[in-house]
Amino acid sequence: MGEVTKAKRELLLNGELSPVENVRRALERISKLNSKINAFIEVNNGAVAQAEALERKLKRGKRAGKLAGLAIGIKSNINVNGLRATCASRTLEDYVAAYDAEVVRRVLAEDGIIVGMNNMDEFACGSSGETSAFGVTDNPTAPGRIPGGSSSGGGAAIAAGMCDLCLGTDTGGSIRNPASHCGVVGVKPTYGLVPRQGLIDLGMSLDQIGPIAPDVYGAALLLEVIAGKNLNESVMLDVLKASYIDKLDGVDIKGMKVGVSPQFTEITDSAVMNVIDKSIEALRDLGAKIVDVELPHIEEAMPAYYLIVSVEFFSATRKFDGRKYGKRIEDVCGDEVLRRILRGRYISQKEYRGKYYQRALQVRTIIRRELMAALKKVDVIVGPTVPKLPHKLGTKLAPMEMYAYDYLTIPANLAGICGGVVKAGEVDGIPIGLQVQGKVLGEEQVLRVMLAFEAVS
Amino acid sequence: MNMMIGLEVHQQLTTERKMYCDCPTNYQNVPPNTNVCPICTGMPGSKPLSPNEKAVDAAMELALMLGCKVIVDKPTYIQRKHYDYPDLPSGYQRTSLPIAVDGELQGVRIREVHLEEDPGQYDPTVGSVDFNRSGVPLVEIVTEPDMHSPEDARKFLRQLIRVLEFTGKVRPEAGGAMRADVNISLEGGARVEVKNINSVKGAYKALKFEITRQNAKLERGEAVTRETRAYLESQMITTPMRAKEMEEDYRYIPDPDIFPLIIDYIKVQKIRERMVEPPHLREQRLVKQYGIQQAAANVIVSERKFADLFEEVAKEVDPKLAAMWFRTKLKKVLNYMKLGAADIKFTPKQLITLLQMIQHHRVTPEQGELVLRELVRKPADPKELVQRLGLERIEWEDLESAVKEAIRRNKKAVKDYLAGRKEALNFMAGKVMERTGGRADPREILKLLRAELLKKS
Repeated sequence: MGEVTKAKRELLLNGELSPVENVRRALERISKLNSKINAFIEVNNGAVAQAEALERKLKRGKRAGKLAGLAIGIKSNINVNGLRATCASRTLEDYVAAYDAEVVRRVLAEDGIIVGMNNMDEFACGSSGETSAFGVTDNPTAPGRIPGGSSSGGGAAIAAGMCDLCLGTDTGGSIRNPASHCGVVGVKPTYGLVPRQGLIDLGMSLDQIGPIAPDVYGAALLLEVIAGKNLNESVMLDVLKASYIDKLDGVDIKGMKVGVSPQFTEITDSAVMNVIDKSIEALRDLGAKIVDVELPHIEEAMPAYYLIVSVEFFSATRKFDGRKYGKRIEDVCGDEVLRRILRGRYISQKEYRGKYYQRALQVRTIIRRELMAALKKVDVIVGPTVPKLPHKLGTKLAPMEMYAYDYLTIPANLAGICGGVVKAGEVDGIPIGLQVQGKVLGEEQVLRVMLAFEAVS
Repeated sequence: MNMMIGLEVHQQLTTERKMYCDCPTNYQNVPPNTNVCPICTGMPGSKPLSPNEKAVDAAMELALMLGCKVIVDKPTYIQRKHYDYPDLPSGYQRTSLPIAVDGELQGVRIREVHLEEDPGQYDPTVGSVDFNRSGVPLVEIVTEPDMHSPEDARKFLRQLIRVLEFTGKVRPEAGGAMRADVNISLEGGARVEVKNINSVKGAYKALKFEITRQNAKLERGEAVTRETRAYLESQMITTPMRAKEMEEDYRYIPDPDIFPLIIDYIKVQKIRERMVEPPHLREQRLVKQYGIQQAAANVIVSERKFADLFEEVAKEVDPKLAAMWFRTKLKKVLNYMKLGAADIKFTPKQLITLLQMIQHHRVTPEQGELVLRELVRKPADPKELVQRLGLERIEWEDLESAVKEAIRRNKKAVKDYLAGRKEALNFMAGKVMERTGGRADPREILKLLRAELLKKS
């Protein structure tokens, strides 16, 4: 896809493409494709009017924001004032957000036009895009297969060109997984870099909002708009502002230390691994120094993650008691959501604390130390994003089979580090994403590697 | 009868803002659901702000006044305590781990002090909830079971409330801002917890009732089992809480949305330096420093402003005289007018002037009291008040002539007196008082009369 976003932005800035025209095209494409792909739950009927307002503003000579006129899709667990924040659940199917999430405020402040709310796995509980109460999402790049999840609608919308950029969320891989399956770019930022005010929780200690884009430039652009400390939020890193676009111009990765781990190969299907190995060779050709790093406990991350996320999700969903916001969650939710609530309720009991939750937190510490130690030796760690190919829509998977999609993405969430995905290649027409994991606040290095790789792939 | 009683006392802190958002705390003075925001109503996606620093500082100050050790330089987690009730917008209440431990007040050990937040106010009769109170900071003080009778507990509770109110950092108990749970176990029975108490009197009545109830059970040979009961204010009895409410497991987890508190040692020192002297310690100091009686000191420290006023006055006036006036006259006048020390309008200087006049016999104590009453009612320079009330001390010659006149005009009384009937002297003194319009000191009148009559005998 290359430089789609950059080119689009230039057309918008020099007036060859008007914001209204761009938004109209996006809405037309959504209306044409959505019945098949189901990437949007709700379309913003005010989008054209907002684009018109932007045009008036620009005509008056006002400065154009960084996202001026770009059509943006927002995952349905992020509050956009006046649109429904359904979390793709019957629980909140009629819930209209009463305020803007901080990231939405920032998108609007930079003149992005929100075109609608993306489909997703219910409450972000899923890795396939099949658990939505509003129906499954198809994979536009590999039709008939899952688009990945839980930011399924975002990944599919970008892949189908239904909008320019999307905001997804990533708790255990929910941005990177659909980016990989749909062949687009996604970034899970360092925990605490992007405000979560207005994001409806899955696992509070793991959730991060991040960009999904057709190219690295687009992801970097949207990330720099949303990144940085929100003073009205407790758990954030002390980073006031971030800028990536300017720093990415004309840089290369000569001499960068790129880590690869033998443990990735053990977990991953060989068809997927073959594509990844080629990518690693491409990075070597670009001048990167490939270094082996050991991540011996990486496989333990997944079970620990599902315990932690279930306890946090149980806590987060107590407000959906049917009194104020929508319907009582346990009465109307899907199987996977209920499974996580019940698991969380069970293992957070006083008598099991030491047995499950505390242990899971200990594993989390081990994983974090392991990744931190590896990232002391190298600048980034590269490898596969998802260990297997996406299954065909409708295939019945046992919960553990479904969870296995997350083996390689979960560690970054547990450790709080950043990770991005860029298309590495294909297996029988099915996209495979290369995952680039970086240090805490190592977004710039991650984007650099992704950009360099994108240029040659 | 051997028994052990322990208390858990909650009191609202007087911060202007709520614990985790910027809403005002004056919930009693505004229409329902007006002091609210997405945070204190737990709207989906809302995240708490960092804990209100003023509330943390206030709780620390209270803890220090109770002789507790503040937990410094290590993380104190804010926990989520889950339970399901309409007044709890998120389905959990945030409560900190102890911020201080191991204090002591009047021989009762303080186990710990921690921070909580108030829930909203649920009205079951109409099924509505007012969230104005939701998120108002609370301090909870937990004692060891060191009290051994309801009287003990009442005495301690009064003392505790006085200490808390001395700081000006808690809302007055009288306003219903205090809530307490009491634990009581009689010899041979299990520990029973009584919740739902909101006054000192309530705690006393609940304990009295429990002793009677538990004793009756033990005497019948029945077991007193461990249970949680609710106090019914209207009937002054306790009733068992539903089994569900008792067996509740709160499934505490550290709140992932709030950084743990880390109180640094220097902050504690700063608070210690500026903190007000606790009343029980101040009482002892007043006795020592001013050589006044314990009983007087006790009255003087009943309110912080009262004690402050005393110390200001004692700089300029004989402290013993001042103490006597504070304990008897001033307190009496204030009580009569239903005023607290905080309502005093006169300046310390005015009181000093008055007491100096008394100390130097410029006015009699009786006149002084009249002036004091006027001073409380409508402050002015006491010298002016003396004039206005016509209380200027009578000139010596005038008094002498009045005495002589009384002797001249009351021959029979003189005769009676000389014959040994001492009460005749009082009669003549009354005549002198009448004549001098109360401007002379009765003691001096008697002295003068006796001297004059001695000449006649």
